[in-house]
Amino acid sequence: MHVAAHLWMPFVDFVFMRRALIGGLVLACSTAPLGVFLILRRMSLIGDAVAHGILPGAALGFWFAGLSLPALTLGGLGAGLGMAGLSAWITRRTGLREDASLAAIYPISLAAGVLILGIAGKRLDLLHLLFGSALAVDETTLTGMLWVTGFSLIAMALIYKPLLLDTLDPLFLQTVSRLGPLAHGLFLTLVVLNLVIGFQAIGALMVVGLMMLPAIASRFWSRRLPVLIAVSAVLGCLSVWLGLLLSFYYSLPSGPAIVLVAGGGYLLSVIFGPVHGLLRRPPLLSSQ
Amino acid sequence: MITCTALRWGAPGQPLTPAVDFTLEKGSLTGVIGPNGCGKSSLLKVITGLQKPLAGKVSVDVPRRGGLAFLPQQQYLDRQFPISLQELVAAGLWGTRLTSPQRNERLHAALQDWCLSGLEQRPLIALSGGQLQRALLARMSLTDSPVLLLDEPHAALDEEGQALCWKHIHAWHEEGRTLMVVCHDLASVRHHTPDVLHIKSTGCALGPSKELIRPQPQLQVA
Repeated sequence: MHVAAHLWMPFVDFVFMRRALIGGLVLACSTAPLGVFLILRRMSLIGDAVAHGILPGAALGFWFAGLSLPALTLGGLGAGLGMAGLSAWITRRTGLREDASLAAIYPISLAAGVLILGIAGKRLDLLHLLFGSALAVDETTLTGMLWVTGFSLIAMALIYKPLLLDTLDPLFLQTVSRLGPLAHGLFLTLVVLNLVIGFQAIGALMVVGLMMLPAIASRFWSRRLPVLIAVSAVLGCLSVWLGLLLSFYYSLPSGPAIVLVAGGGYLLSVIFGPVHGLLRRPPLLSSQ
Repeated sequence: MITCTALRWGAPGQPLTPAVDFTLEKGSLTGVIGPNGCGKSSLLKVITGLQKPLAGKVSVDVPRRGGLAFLPQQQYLDRQFPISLQELVAAGLWGTRLTSPQRNERLHAALQDWCLSGLEQRPLIALSGGQLQRALLARMSLTDSPVLLLDEPHAALDEEGQALCWKHIHAWHEEGRTLMVVCHDLASVRHHTPDVLHIKSTGCALGPSKELIRPQPQLQVA
């Protein structure tokens, strides 16, 4: 009883903990399907590229408007979409491999972000942009997160079927429907939107961890897409909750605490997961 | 009807044939033959609209959406993709206006037709190449497209599967659909398809298969 109370008391007693929890939970739910689809589309790295891409935009926003949510969001959104779009465009036009094109975007974005922050006079902490502080989620940011999550989940439900087919078999989808490029474009926009709204709370780099780690871990638990998304959402929510508790009781930075818990969930999944986990015998040997 | 006018296709700057013209009548069944790399698959993609021609024009008088069904070679499919065989086949019902019981009925009929009963819940990774090929054919059979383009539909199929595939091709032909079938087994093409399109680096020849293909020495008619 006494121990159990520790698991929720901080969220009852402190408004900032409650806001961080709610924000983190909704973010984990809306990033779950995005992360799973990114992996299926072999675009796991694009989250990183976008997260780095957000930096110079957010830094510019900060330079011109100070620490205001709309300026940081708009800057981040523009730059994130721009970087993802630039990389996709280069790949399509020149045939440069997707991963190489994304890898080229990271250092450019990171360097540009650091440079702009340097020129702006270092009033905004780079560490804050990169690693955030879940405990500083204010009312405005939380409202923003709720809107983005609601929009993402509804949009994902609407494009689920075309996106699934576009991922598995784009040639087939092209012969029966023209929704493929639309679904793909909307999907990428949602990824950027979630990363931008998330970077305010747990930091640009950490939010990628919250998006990808539960999604990658879920692959060890099921072979069915809806189950993968559900497992990923549950793992993400657990990571947010446990991570915030760790950060509260041991005075740890909240973003890294959440992502490390998610990382722990990933490693446990790799070891114990029923689908090709390390402790499972290979199915080919056991079935024949 | 499929009409190709002064058509050239291939990689940019590397056309596979000189400009060719041919017309496939509505309701025809045409085998497409030629050596590896002569551009059979690319030709189907150009006709489907998935690849742009280098020059010339393709016109297919079918509705823009769902008018063409294309069976590509299967190697590009991600076998790790987390869906079941039944879900893959059910995608063939995309865009058809049917009630849920009607959809189920058609889906199960297709699964039965292609000898896939009992495999419904199998994930893609647990299917053999032949089973996956039959699933892709079953998905195609669910589309109502008047034009069907099949790229090596017999690949990975056993003898029984090949016979099943030819049986369905004839059934589609009898329904009045227009078919193009890429196939390397000349004896089967000669036996099963009335017309043949022979693609060579010097151009294309279209004609009755009995005239364009000489009887094969070892007769292996599936």
